[in-house]
Amino acid sequence: MKTAEDRNLHQRLAARLTAGVMTGAIVLSVGVASAEPIQITLWHQEQVQARVDQFQKVIDAFNASQAEYQVVQQVQSWGNIYQKLPPAIQAGVQPDIDFTIPDFTVTIRETGAVQPVDDIVAEIEKKHKFIDQALTPYRDEGKIWAVPVYGMVQVLWYRKDLFKAAGLDPESPPKTWEEFLNAARTLTKNGKFGVGVPVSKSLATDQVLYSLMSVNGGTELFDASGAVTFDTPKNVETVNFYKQLSELSPSGAASWTWPEPQDALNAGTVAMAIEKGQYLTPFEETSGQAADQLGCAPIPVNAGGEEHSIYYSNAAMVLTSDPDKRKGAAAFLSFILEPANYAEFLLAEPGLFLPLTVDGASEAWTGSPILSKYKGCVDLMIGMSKKGVLPGFNTGTVQKAIGPIMAQNLLSQVVQKVVVGGEDPQAAVTWGQEQMSAAAGQ
Amino acid sequence: MTTIPATATERDAVQSHPPARLPEPPVRATLGRLFIAPLMIWLALTIVLPLAYCIWISLTSANTMGGTPKFVGLSNYATIFGDGTFGPAFLRTLAWAIGGAVLQTVFAAGAALLLHQRFAGQHVARTWIMASWVVPTIVTTFLWRWMLNADYGVVNQLLLGAGLLDRPIDFLGSPTYAFATVVWINAWRWFPFLTLLILAALTRIAPEYYEAAKVEGATSWQLFTKVTLPFIQPVLYVVGLLGTLWSVNVFDIIWLTTKGGPIDTTTTLPISIYIRAFQQFKLGEASAMSVSLALFLLLFAVVYIRFAPKGATEQEVD
Repeated sequence: MKTAEDRNLHQRLAARLTAGVMTGAIVLSVGVASAEPIQITLWHQEQVQARVDQFQKVIDAFNASQAEYQVVQQVQSWGNIYQKLPPAIQAGVQPDIDFTIPDFTVTIRETGAVQPVDDIVAEIEKKHKFIDQALTPYRDEGKIWAVPVYGMVQVLWYRKDLFKAAGLDPESPPKTWEEFLNAARTLTKNGKFGVGVPVSKSLATDQVLYSLMSVNGGTELFDASGAVTFDTPKNVETVNFYKQLSELSPSGAASWTWPEPQDALNAGTVAMAIEKGQYLTPFEETSGQAADQLGCAPIPVNAGGEEHSIYYSNAAMVLTSDPDKRKGAAAFLSFILEPANYAEFLLAEPGLFLPLTVDGASEAWTGSPILSKYKGCVDLMIGMSKKGVLPGFNTGTVQKAIGPIMAQNLLSQVVQKVVVGGEDPQAAVTWGQEQMSAAAGQ
Repeated sequence: MTTIPATATERDAVQSHPPARLPEPPVRATLGRLFIAPLMIWLALTIVLPLAYCIWISLTSANTMGGTPKFVGLSNYATIFGDGTFGPAFLRTLAWAIGGAVLQTVFAAGAALLLHQRFAGQHVARTWIMASWVVPTIVTTFLWRWMLNADYGVVNQLLLGAGLLDRPIDFLGSPTYAFATVVWINAWRWFPFLTLLILAALTRIAPEYYEAAKVEGATSWQLFTKVTLPFIQPVLYVVGLLGTLWSVNVFDIIWLTTKGGPIDTTTTLPISIYIRAFQQFKLGEASAMSVSLALFLLLFAVVYIRFAPKGATEQEVD
């Protein structure tokens, strides 16, 4: 029989239990009600403010479209990302997504943090098929290592008004190297220069040289076994051609990277330049010319060569192994590639950022205020994207040595030796071959 | 109360047998060690540990991308001294440091002597001369890149306008001019700091020394060499030591103007180390270069202090 004391004890226990359960329920319900969305950190190296702002618009739209994930962008620089990302990975504080280019991906894969994205790509491809040039650089060891998001391709830009003033037909840009050189010579007079090519130790010079190599049978830097094959008569010929072009360029070209040839073309100091699509946006305002005075053409081809150009498939590396964050990354990347959102995303830099899905060139993109003025050039760049090549990434098997080769700007160092140092092109190419082989550990 | 030795013998005895120093009371000594311990720990954490880690890394196959480094003994040192990059970079570093030290000292001594004179606006001039030192390096380098640009730079425009050139010079892109140009930019950046140090030394010279020398008929040159120079000599030695150590380690100005080019003509050791670590991703070899450079600088500092004239590296305490 229970005593009064027992009953009191039981009542107190029951009261405490009830209070505990209620408190737990309240805490749980408050916790559920205030569950934070999963944060997805995005790094990219597009520092131009207009690009950051446009990316933010797309990110805001994604964040507003669902409540599960919250994407936050953090702007980095191509100048120091090689020094910043590996330590971040080692410290376990890497972003969940980082926008990348193929050779950077090769380098970062060595950290072991880059996750294969075959499943994400397969899911996206059910709706939006990627062009081959977008995916090939990221295929290796039977897996896909990044989700393509935008492309970039080089073409020949020229000033139609300067062509006309020099007695050249502005509607017939040079198609061969011989025509290219002749046009540049004709245009070089009275303080104007026929062409502007960079000669600095930089990626800008690497890219122009490689575009010229690609139209002269030099698309591959490696043979099937992975051995470096830079020292070829064709590449010597290309380096020599680069030297001839540099002699028709302004004096300061040895310090030029990307902005200077564009500035010089807009200022009317040079008549031709080989570059990507960033030339469209500022042309009218900075040159004072109408949009139709900016000409564009495929990069002139040497005899026996084929039409090509350097092509960068910019992609998103997924660096998180957390399943929830990975789902968020996949959702965000799928969202970007939806045509309505994709147009907005690509307009971060009209003309420079090109669609790399078959349905990516939507009316919303091509009909934008800037691109609609340069329809011919936009079509040309989309067409050239399908002929795009990239050293070390053209066969579906990545050559690992391409990372250090490009990071050291060995192609532009060869150009500098010839143009600035006055070295014989054959000797410089042989030096380049030795350096590339050393970088490849051969 | 102290007693004064009465005789010479007693004084000699006191001098030859100074009173033995009393041992520190144990509590006081312990307290002293306790006070100094945080600083020692801080130094160990911030200097000794990273240095020791760098030495360890230089003996391994570490690469910048991570992975497990393997011990490789001295092979990184064999590589850097054998592959032909360390030697030329080392010589360039010496030329950079010596050229920079000479230029900076000449600029600084000249500016300090001028600013030491009395003239209207002296205080404004003393403040204004610091401008190139206080602005961030990135501003300095962009300023000079613009001014020296071959296509639109003001320097070329002036030289062309004056008829001194018939075509622009690419100061930072030409192997002939690039090295001298970056030495100039670095000297321009740093000389105000040295000016300040020398000026501080100049202000300590009492006017009576000059007056006495003038009474004795000293010329301006003699005033400079016999009065001014001896007084500022300790500062010049310190400036020489610090300036050389700082100059050797300069990375930002060179990287932001030439990235070590064209064709390696401005690749000093810090640039070479950076390229090895972050473009070739060979952290072990880059660490071996860093350790070698640190040893050289240590040796330089020891020799410099050892052979400096007596008193040149010591400041009297009044």
